[in-house]
Amino acid sequence: MKKNLLFITVTLLFSILLLSACSSTDETGQQDNQQVKDELILAIGGEPEDGFDPTTGWGRYGSPLFQSTLLKYDKDFNIKNDLATDYNVSEDGKTWTVEIREDVKFSDGEALTADDVVFTFETAKTSGSVIDLSNLEKVESSDDHTVQFTLIEPASTFIYLLVSTGIVPEHAYDDAYNENPIGSGPFTLVQWDKGQQIIVEENPYYYGEKPSFTKLTFLFLAEDAAFAAAKAGEVDVVSVPPTFAKEEVSGMELIKLDTVDNRGVMFPYVPAGEVTDNGAPIGNDVTADIAIRKAINVGVDRQAFVDGVVEGFGTPAYSVADNMPWWNADTVIEDNDVEKAKQILDEAGWKENEDGIREKDGLTAEFTLLYPAGDQIRQSLSILFADMMKPLGIDVSTEGKSWNELETLMFSNPVMMGWGSHDPIEMYNLYSSETRVIGYYNANYYANDVVDEYMNQALHATTEEEANSYWQKAQWDGETGFSAQGDAPWAWLVNIQHLYFVNEDLEIGKQKLQPHGHGWPVTDFIEQWHWKE
Amino acid sequence: MKGITKKFNLRQRTIAKIILAILFLIAIIVSGLLIGNDKLSIQLDLKNSAPSLAHLFGTDWLGRDMLARTLKGLTISLGVGLLAAILSSLIALAFSLLASWNKTMDAMITWLIDMFLSVPHLVLLILISFAVGGGFTGVVIGLSLTHWPSLTRLLRGEVLQIKSAEYVGISRRLGKSRWWIARHHLIPHLLPQLFVGMVLLFPHAILHEAAITFLGFGLSTEQPAIGIILSESMRYLSTGMWWLAFFPGLSLLIMVGIFDILGKNIRKLIDPFHGQKG
Repeated sequence: MKKNLLFITVTLLFSILLLSACSSTDETGQQDNQQVKDELILAIGGEPEDGFDPTTGWGRYGSPLFQSTLLKYDKDFNIKNDLATDYNVSEDGKTWTVEIREDVKFSDGEALTADDVVFTFETAKTSGSVIDLSNLEKVESSDDHTVQFTLIEPASTFIYLLVSTGIVPEHAYDDAYNENPIGSGPFTLVQWDKGQQIIVEENPYYYGEKPSFTKLTFLFLAEDAAFAAAKAGEVDVVSVPPTFAKEEVSGMELIKLDTVDNRGVMFPYVPAGEVTDNGAPIGNDVTADIAIRKAINVGVDRQAFVDGVVEGFGTPAYSVADNMPWWNADTVIEDNDVEKAKQILDEAGWKENEDGIREKDGLTAEFTLLYPAGDQIRQSLSILFADMMKPLGIDVSTEGKSWNELETLMFSNPVMMGWGSHDPIEMYNLYSSETRVIGYYNANYYANDVVDEYMNQALHATTEEEANSYWQKAQWDGETGFSAQGDAPWAWLVNIQHLYFVNEDLEIGKQKLQPHGHGWPVTDFIEQWHWKE
Repeated sequence: MKGITKKFNLRQRTIAKIILAILFLIAIIVSGLLIGNDKLSIQLDLKNSAPSLAHLFGTDWLGRDMLARTLKGLTISLGVGLLAAILSSLIALAFSLLASWNKTMDAMITWLIDMFLSVPHLVLLILISFAVGGGFTGVVIGLSLTHWPSLTRLLRGEVLQIKSAEYVGISRRLGKSRWWIARHHLIPHLLPQLFVGMVLLFPHAILHEAAITFLGFGLSTEQPAIGIILSESMRYLSTGMWWLAFFPGLSLLIMVGIFDILGKNIRKLIDPFHGQKG
């Protein structure tokens, strides 16, 4: 027994020594970077699995950094020229002509011409990736600096593809481009140590505003390692989950960015019965009842999710696109009204049984809410949601599943999902009858003819204002719509703020509303980052 | 203290220890079963509170009482351990009897034992429980398929010894079947070893269950198993919420320790060769 104890003590001592030895070597590696003032070290996650190829989706969420786009958003989502100097749309909405700048060079010194733009969109169209260019009939260059896109159907949302797709060089594009992204963006990739870090340097040929920093290092650290690095003063910008955000970190200040990075419960919209082509069951008898969905939307306390789960770093969410230009402010409903929720259920014939659970025609008001296991925020949201349903008489159990499992279960079970994009096509994808059971889109199996019609009108609109007015009507036109006021196929709960600890001497300026995770949206305006005077 | 230990003989002390250990375990099970879901409910105004009189183990980030969660977790671990240990022992018994069949069978079983022992437990465990779909059944199957070899080896040695005994030879020559001999001569002799082996498998099984659950290959995140509680608490450690990991970890350790004491003392009691050693 004594021997055992000695052995354990010695082993413990050794492991402590070993651990401390490891951490001290890390520190020396970082220190020399601290003195040089035109470099930044960021730990903001988001290492892309597929590399940095915009034709397969890099940069869709926020800025592509290495490449530049034809058009871009300003901080209030007005569309501005980037590579383009001008664009116009023909009367029928099918022909888009874009003039591009003549002074642009890629980071290897070659000039960017209309042929590169044509090449980019043709590559993206055939890449089979998340970028949907199926509506693009052809793209041609009429001279070195004019590109003409011809669409099959008029689509107002095509402009967002011009905003999000970085232009790649035809002469330097090959299979390894995703690891060697030559582009016309403000920075160029120097080194990528997979799983650890990437190092980028200023692009000497960049045509835009010159960034204040010549070198950036992006570290890919686990959440708590990143937080520890921030505490040790080793990084300048670090993204943190809400649990860490209440801590004090000396020399850094907390920056809270508002987002459309939302979470909400997706309800199967139709009764059970059908199956998908892959044999996955579709529909759920309980959530197919609009009274259930409406009561949940009215009964939940969205502010409690904000305060309880994300530590107050968020805002209540009422739609998939809160505060975006195409958002309808009428979708904001009065929530946390348990009495009204009960009344809705009573009127629809859901009566409480002796266990306090409601029943209607032999059907019990119960369902299993699924969430991706391992996502702690969605797990907490789900548990809290289930807890909130008890007073309404709806019995919700929660279960974590892998995404693989969710792909077959999500058509017949409510799922805690998250969306939030800078492109209104997302609304179309989530709510159109055309996109039912395509990938994760419209897993509800939702369909409403009026909504479909509004969204088609929005797609065919020739100006953004016109398009946005139809998007808003699709959400709620006073009688119907896909928001909680109307058919309520979702219960949106929170928009989660993105939290960063930023070196208190660093000014990153105002940011636009951040999209759903992935990528580095925070680097969108990196040209404007500078040290405070 | 010395006086008390002197007053009772070794046998009495051993029995007292066994009874105490069993009482402890029963207390864990009963309290785990008594705790309803209402004890695990969310109280957001109490979240992240340090241990206090009202919440001895503190509360988590949703205000759930950690004492209740820990007890629930221990009960689940106990269930997993019990099932896995029983299944493992049954496999071990079956294999050791098979090994007594003939030389080839014996060589095969020995080879199987060596093979399983040559692969690290945890790797095999993750592989098996992942292959059969994870969750509660995955863990139990994985644990029972990985924990039988050492016990089998022990039982096989015992069987070889009994087989060469005279009365077994007489039975065989009287024309009794192998099965009859196994039932009347082998199994009764193996039972004490088997029982002790099973109890001693418990701590292994429980620790391994917690380990693979911690790594994310085990029980689903709904069950407040100790492994889940520990892995969840990891992300809060850097914010100083030590109680989330400390108490559940300590409780797991204590439970495993009790099983170890139980097993060793039972062995003392029913295995005369070990009786005078400890």
